Amino acid sequence: MASVRAEHQQPTGTGATLVVMVGLSVAFLLFMAFLNVVKSGNLLNESNLLYAALIFYCGAGALYLGFGVTGTESYVRFASLATWIGLLANTGAIVHRWYVAGHPPFASIYEMLLSFVWTLAVLTLIAEKRFGVKVIGTVTMPVAIVGVVLMQLLPSEVRPLVPALQSTWLHVHVTLAMLAYAACALSFALAMMFLIQDQVKTETFLAGTSFSVVVSYAAIVLTRFDRGGLSVVAWDPQQRGEVFVARGVRLFVVIPDLGWLLLLVLFAVAAPFALYLYGRWRNDDRVLVSANRAVFVSILLQILALAAFFVRARDGRYSSLDAEGLFPTSLAASPFILSGLVGAIFISLMYLMLLWRRQDLEKLLPDAPTLDRITYNTIAIAFPLLTLMIAAGAYWANRTWGSYWNWDPKETWAAITWLVYAGYLHMRITRGWRGRRAAYFAILGFAVVMFTFFGVTYLLPGLHAYA
Amino acid sequence: MAENARNPIRKLWQIFSSVKTGVILLIVVVIVSAGGTLILQRPITEPEEMQRAYSPQVLRVLDAVKLTDVYHAWWFVLLLVLVSLSIVAASVERFPNSWRYFSRPYKSPTESFRKALATRKQIPIEDEETAVLAAARALRELGFKPELVTSDKHVSLFAERNRISEMAVYIVHASLLLIFLGGIVDALYGWRGYVALTPGQQSSLVGLRNGATRTLPFTIRCDSAGQENYSDGSPKRWWSQLTIVQNGSEVQRKEIVVNDPLVFQGVRFYQSSYGPTGKLDKLVLSATPASGQEPAKEVSLVLDQSVALDADMSVRLAEFIPDYVVRDNQIYTRSTSVENPAAHLVVASKKSGQSFNVWLPAIPGFAENDRSPYRFEAQDLKMGYFTGLEVSHEPGQWAVWTGVILMGLGLALVFYLVHVRFWVVPVLDARGRLALWVGGAANKNREIFDEKFTKLVEAIEKQIKSESAACVRVHETSVAG
Repeated sequence: MASVRAEHQQPTGTGATLVVMVGLSVAFLLFMAFLNVVKSGNLLNESNLLYAALIFYCGAGALYLGFGVTGTESYVRFASLATWIGLLANTGAIVHRWYVAGHPPFASIYEMLLSFVWTLAVLTLIAEKRFGVKVIGTVTMPVAIVGVVLMQLLPSEVRPLVPALQSTWLHVHVTLAMLAYAACALSFALAMMFLIQDQVKTETFLAGTSFSVVVSYAAIVLTRFDRGGLSVVAWDPQQRGEVFVARGVRLFVVIPDLGWLLLLVLFAVAAPFALYLYGRWRNDDRVLVSANRAVFVSILLQILALAAFFVRARDGRYSSLDAEGLFPTSLAASPFILSGLVGAIFISLMYLMLLWRRQDLEKLLPDAPTLDRITYNTIAIAFPLLTLMIAAGAYWANRTWGSYWNWDPKETWAAITWLVYAGYLHMRITRGWRGRRAAYFAILGFAVVMFTFFGVTYLLPGLHAYA
Repeated sequence: MAENARNPIRKLWQIFSSVKTGVILLIVVVIVSAGGTLILQRPITEPEEMQRAYSPQVLRVLDAVKLTDVYHAWWFVLLLVLVSLSIVAASVERFPNSWRYFSRPYKSPTESFRKALATRKQIPIEDEETAVLAAARALRELGFKPELVTSDKHVSLFAERNRISEMAVYIVHASLLLIFLGGIVDALYGWRGYVALTPGQQSSLVGLRNGATRTLPFTIRCDSAGQENYSDGSPKRWWSQLTIVQNGSEVQRKEIVVNDPLVFQGVRFYQSSYGPTGKLDKLVLSATPASGQEPAKEVSLVLDQSVALDADMSVRLAEFIPDYVVRDNQIYTRSTSVENPAAHLVVASKKSGQSFNVWLPAIPGFAENDRSPYRFEAQDLKMGYFTGLEVSHEPGQWAVWTGVILMGLGLALVFYLVHVRFWVVPVLDARGRLALWVGGAANKNREIFDEKFTKLVEAIEKQIKSESAACVRVHETSVAG
């Protein structure tokens, strides 16, 4: 079966320029970092290695995006090289932290992000070399960059482990979870690429991406809008932790007016989706054109919302209903809101890239049946990992608390994720589902993974926090 | 008539054992389980919180349908039973075929099979025997063990690998049923509870989750317990030194920590917590006679214990309040944490029968410290600590862990072990000339298998060529003399 090969393009004038520009920027940033570090002394410590990794991932991301937009093959080679070096630095950071802390990096959100970013870089290289999907870096590298940036905001001290976390089985469980979720994320990206190659209309992607962004903003607004302000968890800068009023009950402060801004942006991101629905109802293509313009406008507003959140969260002290006085907050106190805002911008940008460069993308990706098959292969890796992850978690719970299954929301949703992917495998193997139906099922599976990872921790307690 | 009677049952069976039914049941389980995470569940949530979250009518409806305790509702159990039955039915329906497939390899392909097989190739050959031998060599080169099959005066080849792969899916489903079985056994015969012991205390009673108390056939005794902290004060380690006493003799000892329980006769004791009892363990005082002529004595007191100070006087610790407050001329206990401790001692004289109330500190209106023949000073205060142990008995867990290992194995077989078969049969092609028919089949990963098949065909062709070349050379040498 002959697959369409990308036409080999010689780097044009603009092509070489991008590589040179990225190379120079990377060198410059490294040099500045080096100067800074030489002053303080210790060169190869964890934060320096992490910073180096960030620089190289940024370079790789820029080159992957350049590849996605222009199709110049040489970008991929340099992007891979940058990813390799970034991965090396990242590995160094992990090793250093593991050595200093005495345990693998799984004990706090900072450490989880560190490991997650590392896994993303590894997966990017595997997808490129083994599966031949070169453009996956355009998706994974920006996520890695966001991850490293988020890490800079989080408290990074090595915390000693409380007794329950000192078990080897916990580390096994977390490693398996990360590998499993990464494989699911990869299957999601591949399923998306399949839909691109399968000639799914760009409007359908408009509907999907704008709907996801609406859900993200709606989740934030519905749970945190408070008489015009945004309710966030208070942060204690001395303790470098969240403020609690009682055991397990966090103290919430209200940032005034931010609620109105997010509500406004919610309408702005709902506009493309509403326009899409209207355009479908009226069968009018001009409406779809305005929908695409609305996406562009919504991105600008989303960036505004993110910037406002940044500024207000970092400076300022706010009042609370539950305690007297003014309390500061921090970006670290609201990881989910931050992830939601950044993720929404990312999704919208991805849609714009598809809209403007779809034909180039189609030439660069493997053909649809191959992508369909690779998606299945990736899930065939993810499913055993999910199984072992649940089993390791159950065994750890058994050794720590005397029971391997408690119908805890996190456990239950992990089981639901497992059942959904089992459903995918059954429909594919036994009922012969292929192509689009399989791709949609794979996307559903990943949506459930996202809910298990974010929703259970953020949304479920929030549903009943203020009864 | 009998046919008609059988058909509906047969139809019903086919519907029940179909994959579609299984997937639908899975979807229902997913929806119900998700519901259980969104609706507040009863044993975990306090009743007041339930009443705050839902209006009385809604709560009544939810309780009636058991949506407030979904995972233990009878209809949820029934649902899981149905899922298990559908797995059993689906396996029973398909197993006979798979078993036939597995136990009786199809070694000699018929003409219709050969025509229908997708992956096949015909290679023109000169001589049947040498061609088959060449093919055998090619197969051996690729790591297969071809066997010669004789049928209808012809000799053909059959080679296969990983036949177990056909059974893999049954291994996966059987392991899942085993896990369910373990869960059911634990739900029916397992129990979980809690016991708190202070150092030196022993008990054979466990307070169960459902409120009942269970008596163990042995006694657990806590010899000592403690907590180690990190430099920042957060707990590093809780430990308990436990001994099991049965029929009067100590049968087992262990120091347990979190994640490392003590196991005895299927009952497991887990280090769950450690904390102050709020009760006094020991109060050490120095007692000085009021006359001041004799030296101070050290007295160690426990609640309600009387200790002799001299031939006549004795002191008893009547009350100990960790956090006292005086209100309306009464002494109250404000909390169980040691914030503002007070001790009430009663000094009694045997001879005169008089007793004096000594309070440390001297609370005005209550203390008769000045009239007491002895003065007291607190030297040391030791509060009592308890160690909290989770106790559980899970007879079904071995089925669960075995099932998990089996499932891991089964999944590896399902996804990564491919049942590959090759046939080589000498035939006559469409024009009546001798040819070697080569066919192959694999139960997964078609694209990779197609590549393997092409390689095999090339290898066979190479072997046939070298074979005929060798024949020519032999012929030439024999001709040459």
